[in-house]
Amino acid sequence: MISDIQLQRPAWLGMRQREFAAALAAAGLMMGFALPAHADSTDGTFPTAEQVGGEVYQAPLKIGSTLPTDFAAFDVQGAKIDFGTVIKGKRSLVVFFISAVPVSVNELKRIEDFINKNAPKVNLVFVNADTVGVALEGGPQKAISATVSTVQLVAKEHGLKRPMYVAPNDALSPTGLSNRLAFRGLPTSFLVNDKGAIEKIFVGPQHWKKGDI
Amino acid sequence: MPISRRDFIKGTLAAGLAGAGGMLAGPSFAARHNSAGEAQAEFFSKFEGNVILLPGKYSGTVQALDLAVPETLAWFNYGLTGVNMPIPHHIAAMPSADPYIGFDFYQTMQPPMAPYVNENSPEWRDRGDFKMFKMRYDGSGKQNSIHVVNDIAATTGMALGVHVSIGVGENAKKYVAFADGQKDMVLITTIDDNPKIVKALRADYDPIARQVNISHVFPDPATGMFDFQGRKGMKTSHEAMLGEELMPADPTAVFVDAFTWHPTLPLGAILIRRLGCCAIIDTNTWEVRALLSTAKGSPDNFPLVKQQGFTWTFAVPSVLTPLHEAGFLPSGEYFLACNNVLQNNIGVFRATDPDPLKWKKDKFVEGFGNKYLPLHMGNVPDSRWAYFTMWARKPNNGYIAKVDTKSWEVVHKWDTGPDPHTCDCTVDGKYMTTVYSGNQGGESGLVVINVDNNKIEARLPSPAGHHDHVVVPKDWEGMKSSRSTSV
Repeated sequence: MISDIQLQRPAWLGMRQREFAAALAAAGLMMGFALPAHADSTDGTFPTAEQVGGEVYQAPLKIGSTLPTDFAAFDVQGAKIDFGTVIKGKRSLVVFFISAVPVSVNELKRIEDFINKNAPKVNLVFVNADTVGVALEGGPQKAISATVSTVQLVAKEHGLKRPMYVAPNDALSPTGLSNRLAFRGLPTSFLVNDKGAIEKIFVGPQHWKKGDI
Repeated sequence: MPISRRDFIKGTLAAGLAGAGGMLAGPSFAARHNSAGEAQAEFFSKFEGNVILLPGKYSGTVQALDLAVPETLAWFNYGLTGVNMPIPHHIAAMPSADPYIGFDFYQTMQPPMAPYVNENSPEWRDRGDFKMFKMRYDGSGKQNSIHVVNDIAATTGMALGVHVSIGVGENAKKYVAFADGQKDMVLITTIDDNPKIVKALRADYDPIARQVNISHVFPDPATGMFDFQGRKGMKTSHEAMLGEELMPADPTAVFVDAFTWHPTLPLGAILIRRLGCCAIIDTNTWEVRALLSTAKGSPDNFPLVKQQGFTWTFAVPSVLTPLHEAGFLPSGEYFLACNNVLQNNIGVFRATDPDPLKWKKDKFVEGFGNKYLPLHMGNVPDSRWAYFTMWARKPNNGYIAKVDTKSWEVVHKWDTGPDPHTCDCTVDGKYMTTVYSGNQGGESGLVVINVDNNKIEARLPSPAGHHDHVVVPKDWEGMKSSRSTSV
């Protein structure tokens, strides 16, 4: 089956792999998501392949489907928020990144500048899809506060003004954020309409151009 | 009658003392405790000849343990190298006919990072480093010592922090390999005290084309060095934790883990975690000969799409499971791949054909369920058994599994302690040593298992939280059951 998902050919393919003329992987990308949770990662269980989309690189969410927003999220003060209200009724670009992945952090400013210039009315939000390591620094109860501090630092050092959030992710749980939203590369940005339906998905750094948003 | 605390054992350098140049010359002594008459002396004397190197990850040290006493012969804090918060990671020892007199070893280092600390916080972001050191244990005088021979990262300009393995068989007495999964690179150097760059390789994934590119990387011709010291070249600021090959990451990230050497053929394997594959490299030409796919239900290898210059492109249309470690039996008959996360099994490839495109997955070792990941591999000299660390997330401990290499069945298991890591056999092949680290803060120690009767013979404490260890091999043949063929 041919997918109608638009995966933008990211900038890094040109920057790092000039010799390749990679075609878009169209075949086999049709797959719905939202599997029921069968394995609770709190007991140390690892997911089966079926629970996380069948393989390491699972098919992305379908264009036209509603972006799930019922995941745990925190604002930069560490307060828990309802992420659905962040994008409700607004055409939005939701950018998932991780402070531990330099290419995704470096892309944030480029996205912000592009949106400010070319689509200023789009509701741009950044989401750090992970919590930082704290096993020897106080344990899990410190995870949110430590991650919030880190994203505040990212925002400050990169001059970012758009809203930023923290969304914990358990990559080994079928209900973990990255498995539910089916992303592996960073940043992954979802352009959603004012009804929350996915218009486009961007993976990795981009050669942003007018018309992309 | 009082027993002298220190007794100097007179000896000469044994003929055939292996290792690269710079070893000790002239009449020699070793500072070893004579435990005769002590309550446990007779028991531990059966481990004579075994010196074990134990790096402590978050303790920043390495010790050389005389298992026959037992006593630490010498220890070293890597902070003395100038690294602020050193994290010794993986280790490999050169052979020595008399390890009490001296031997060389290699140590890699990575910066402090998740899951233990927040590596991007102001408190940690500038601490620690990626490093590879050639080290030397000197037991030739009245004071044993360990010291740095070469800072290989500074010498070559490439700093990698995961597995180190020393060439054997066709590659014996020649090469040492370093690998890193944050930079997705492998470096091969010579084993002399001022090592020379032999080859560097890098792996990058294209998730849109679903292809992996394995390339030679070249030093700057003007300097003869790379520009990948410190954190330069990182795709992620922390190594993917055990089992986290599913973590969102740089789109090109593949999490290279190690380079393991075929014991008899001029071949080596680059272990590529995230893609569940191993690139088989011709160590005469450093060309990529095949890309093995290790998952059950996948083909034996992924097809080469093209080669352009020094880049080999393989199609990887699907990845049924990541893997972690993989290695060869000392006999060279089999290559074993630890698939984990989405499939927890060990793929068994027949590996005797000089053409790795003909290596087939004969069998899988299975039955580990969905809580235990096949991780490290440890060999015995006659290849009768293979030992695997079955790692588990909290609250589970994990265990060590002994596998029969004829039936490919698990024949015994041991829960040695929380966060178990590497296995390595004694020089006579009679015992398997294994470490556990208590997740870098809890229970930690060294366990010695009888290979024949499966009894835990000894358990020694350690405050150092070991993520790796190695028994100093006796000779180059002994290297085939050490950190050469498996990690």
